[in-house]
Amino acid sequence: MMYYVLLPFMAVVLVVLQSKLAEILFSGLLTLEMSLIVVIYAGFRLDLWKGAALSLVVGLAMDCLSGTVLGLFSLLYVCIFLFAWFVSSQIDSERLYLIAGFSLICAMVESLALVLIYQFVFEFDMVGKILPVLVPQTLLVSVLSVCFFYAMRRVERVLKYG
Amino acid sequence: MFFKNYRAVIFVGAVILAAVFLFSYGLKYDAGQSLLQRLALGAAAPVQKLLTLCVESVDNAWTRYIRLVGLEEENRKLKGAIGELQMQLTLYRQGYLEARRLQTLLSLEEREPYRFVAARIIGKEQGALAKTLWIDKGEAHGLKPGMPVMALPGLIGRLTNVSRHSAKVQLLIDEGSNVDVLVERTRQQGMLRGAGSRGCVVRYISKIQDVREGDVILTSGLSNVFPKGLLVGKVVHTDRSDAGMFLNIRVSPFADFTSLEEVLVLAGERKTPSGERKAAK
Repeated sequence: MMYYVLLPFMAVVLVVLQSKLAEILFSGLLTLEMSLIVVIYAGFRLDLWKGAALSLVVGLAMDCLSGTVLGLFSLLYVCIFLFAWFVSSQIDSERLYLIAGFSLICAMVESLALVLIYQFVFEFDMVGKILPVLVPQTLLVSVLSVCFFYAMRRVERVLKYG
Repeated sequence: MFFKNYRAVIFVGAVILAAVFLFSYGLKYDAGQSLLQRLALGAAAPVQKLLTLCVESVDNAWTRYIRLVGLEEENRKLKGAIGELQMQLTLYRQGYLEARRLQTLLSLEEREPYRFVAARIIGKEQGALAKTLWIDKGEAHGLKPGMPVMALPGLIGRLTNVSRHSAKVQLLIDEGSNVDVLVERTRQQGMLRGAGSRGCVVRYISKIQDVREGDVILTSGLSNVFPKGLLVGKVVHTDRSDAGMFLNIRVSPFADFTSLEEVLVLAGERKTPSGERKAAK
């Protein structure tokens, strides 16, 4: 129960933290999507209930704090979570290169979806941002996901075996 | 039973539906200020403030560090500049003092009717056997052995050895130095002899003569080595208790031999514009 109570606050902290880090590291030119990595991690490590709740809440926090249309990231994160959850039974999450590849695919799908949604729903051309913004962002997510999974594996071991 | 078997599917469907509903709602009614957004912003504000505070603190510390590094560099440069300026100041001070000394020597040259050759002292020998100076002028500048050497206010010795570009000066306090002198007040004549660190002594003045402490001793000009009337020193002590015929008179030379840097060598009498030599005093 505590998990569901703390989840919204942690989601808000995560989104604020990633935007602040992106501001410091990339001067706001790129987005550091730690939230996407957390959603992928939830797909591999958490059960369906907790993971779905996490992706929905983190997506909502992203929607509310990033200034996009309400529900956009919620829908994307829920879809990515379910994708990861279904794939987790096929991929060994201990193999970090597989995680890197999967994260890269997820990030690319997310970017593509964003471009398409903005193109067709809002009639806002984002094609020009694919190369300078979305590609580096995607690669960044891929690299960071490896670090995140590795760090979380260590944390899990410490929590489990002390 | 149905719900229990398909609970996961139903949940997944419900979550997707909720997300789609939210997106549709957002697309249709997005006013930018929904209750959810206001709540999220309200919750995010303290976190944002805290993070901003942390970042600013780190940024300030970093900026301060960079500034300190700059200050250190600036401090190093300023210290270097101070050292350089102090060196220059020392040089200027040396130059000023030298100018003062030379001015003093020049005043002596202007006052006395003699031709002087100014020389710089390049060495000193103040050992037990000899009290001499080494100057940077020699035969090439017209100097010859025996010429009197002066420094304000009067005589300090004479040239003994003269080479092409340097010369040795035997000081008045050298034990081998003998100068014909007279007491300015009483005109009594005697022989001034060097006494090393005790200064000089005047010999061959009879005990019946009136010589007091403070009397000024001048060159007498008898031996034709030193011109008459050059200041030599001052009587500091007289003693009549000796069994001999003569007074024991101790004289302190006017010149301070320890601080001499430049001297004037009396190279002869100055010629007047008409070609006649001025008479010595």
